[in-house]
Amino acid sequence: MERDIQIKLAVYRHFAENGHPPSPGEVADRAGSDVESVLDAYGRLRAERVLVLEADGASIRMAPPFSGIPTEHVVEAGGIEYFANCAWDALGVPAALHEPGTVRSRCGQSGAPLHLHVDRQGPEPSDWLFHSLLPAAKWWDNIVFT
Amino acid sequence: MLFFRSEEEVHEWCTAQGSPIRPLVTIDQLWNLATTWYSTRLQEDSRRPRPDEMREIFAGVGLEGDFWDPTLDTFG
Repeated sequence: MERDIQIKLAVYRHFAENGHPPSPGEVADRAGSDVESVLDAYGRLRAERVLVLEADGASIRMAPPFSGIPTEHVVEAGGIEYFANCAWDALGVPAALHEPGTVRSRCGQSGAPLHLHVDRQGPEPSDWLFHSLLPAAKWWDNIVFT
Repeated sequence: MLFFRSEEEVHEWCTAQGSPIRPLVTIDQLWNLATTWYSTRLQEDSRRPRPDEMREIFAGVGLEGDFWDPTLDTFG
C-alpha cells in the first residue's frame, strides 16, 4: 500500500535525521497523513517486521537498525548519536545512512569497550566477533530479546 | 546479538548462560549482512529479504547450516 510506504519512510527518515523516534503526529505531518492512518499503518508495518511497537501501539521501540530507546550499542554519524538494537544493527546504522560513523559498544562477557570506525566501504580491521544466542528461525519469536 | 572481544570470551559467556556456543561471525561478515539488510532501508523500494533469500545471503558470506536457516523451527 502506497500510504504505508510513505509512513514507513517518514519513520525511518525521522530516525536518520534526528537519532530518535518520531511521534505519530510527526509521522503524519511528514507523510501528509493523519494520526489514525499512521497508527493503522503501524500495525501492518509491524506484521512486515519493519517496526516494533511498544504496548501502546503508538511508540516505536524498533525501526531496525534504529532503536527507539537507549541501548549499549551507540553509533555516532554526522554529528548525530543513534542507538542500535543489537550488534548487527550497530553496523546496520552506518550501512543504512551511507555515512561514516563510529560504533561504540562493549564485549558481552568482559565489558571491554569497542570503538569501531566504519567508513562507506566498511569497518576498520577488527578481531572482534559477533555471536547470536538464537538461531535465525527464532529471531522474531521475541525480537526484543534477540 | 552481542559483540565479543575474543572467542574465549564467547565461550565464557556461553558457559555462564548455560548455552551452547553458536557459530562465530567476523566483523567483515557482519558488515556484509548489515549492508545487505539495511543499505536500502531509507529508500522507497526497500524490503526485508525473504527467508529463501536469507539462506542465500548467509551462505554467500560463509554462514551455512541449520543455525542460519530461517525456515527451520526445530533448531534448539
